[in-house]
Amino acid sequence: MADKEFEPKIIGFFCNWCTYAGADLAGVSRLQYPPNIRVIRVMCSGTVSPHHVLRAFQKGADGVLIGGCHLGDCHYLRGNFMTIKRMRFLQDLLKFTGFEDGRLHLEWISAAEGPKFAQVVRDFTEKIKKMGPSRLKQTPKAA
Amino acid sequence: MDRLREKVRNLLQEGKVAGYLGYMMQDGHPLPHLFTPERLEEVAQAIVAPDEARYPLDKLLQELVSRYPDATFAIQVRGCDERGLNELYKWGQLDPGKVVLVGVACTQAQADYCECPGPWASVIDYGEKCEPVLRSRRVDRIDALAGDEAFKEWLASFNRCIKCYGCRDVCPMCFCKECALEHPDLMSTGKIPPDSIFQLVRAIHMAGRCIDCGLCEENCPADIPLRVLYKKGNALVKGLFGYETGSPESGLSPWKNLGEESTMTTKPL
Repeated sequence: MADKEFEPKIIGFFCNWCTYAGADLAGVSRLQYPPNIRVIRVMCSGTVSPHHVLRAFQKGADGVLIGGCHLGDCHYLRGNFMTIKRMRFLQDLLKFTGFEDGRLHLEWISAAEGPKFAQVVRDFTEKIKKMGPSRLKQTPKAA
Repeated sequence: MDRLREKVRNLLQEGKVAGYLGYMMQDGHPLPHLFTPERLEEVAQAIVAPDEARYPLDKLLQELVSRYPDATFAIQVRGCDERGLNELYKWGQLDPGKVVLVGVACTQAQADYCECPGPWASVIDYGEKCEPVLRSRRVDRIDALAGDEAFKEWLASFNRCIKCYGCRDVCPMCFCKECALEHPDLMSTGKIPPDSIFQLVRAIHMAGRCIDCGLCEENCPADIPLRVLYKKGNALVKGLFGYETGSPESGLSPWKNLGEESTMTTKPL
């Protein structure tokens, strides 16, 4: 086990209208990206509460990727305004408590950006791999 | 003290308020007390609680108002209590037309202890304005730590938690009927210490809502430096959204509306 490369667990919250469709496009275009990401489809990235992100980390996620429509393109007009407020705040709060804010990433990916989707997932997985397992996971308390 | 008692007596006598929520010495303890027109003689014993004895009067007021929704009450407020009232008005928990302030200015010792940026109420019926403390040294100290050191320190604190919910129960701003901390899908149940995210979840709820009264920290049997966490949360909200928690001028909380436009940018990968 010890010499095996660390394979991070990454949770992706993707909005139904843009990023999830972008993931679909990446799929049908046969673009390669690492299988570390577990995708959860949500109707709007604005529905992703900080609770969900924290819960994911608590349950052993090494990274959380949130994908939404570009600002102004939201299917619900302004849902993603809340996404960015929440996530920017949460990133800063995580940083303050030393939980490594880089493990939480927000990216706007439209339905037409299949290649961008694949690239973001590749880059994010690579970054988390380099960072190693989540600090929350290394402690015996984090079951 | 006489000025304060005089004001309270007048308010009660003229029937402007149904009661005054303040403090009285009872059995040698300064305790919260509801003064009513029926027992006007008690007003002579109304006091301003000494620094170390503070109670969540805002929370008691919410309880009172839920029982007597049409009545107007007067309440003794420090700077933090008043910020709390302002925030509660914004969240639709209290009606500003039904609250009369009896304001208190904190002592310098109290302001220093709290690192309070606004240690007096907008009306002052007792005490003198002192020097506000604009920067929190406790927050600065954690800010200066490297990531893993900060993590170690916080985790050590969080792991002392005995999940008594004291921080939530004493908090004048915690008015939700259902609590995320008790939601089995969001927080593990039957486990002590609780999930390491327990305090973070509360910190998220407190951002832009915590009025920095510090009762949570005083109430905590495990001495978790909760106040530092919430102070930072408010500082972040101010930096990111320009929202001053508890100020009547700064409009609605950023969490209460989506906003007409967004100029924020995502962090680079």
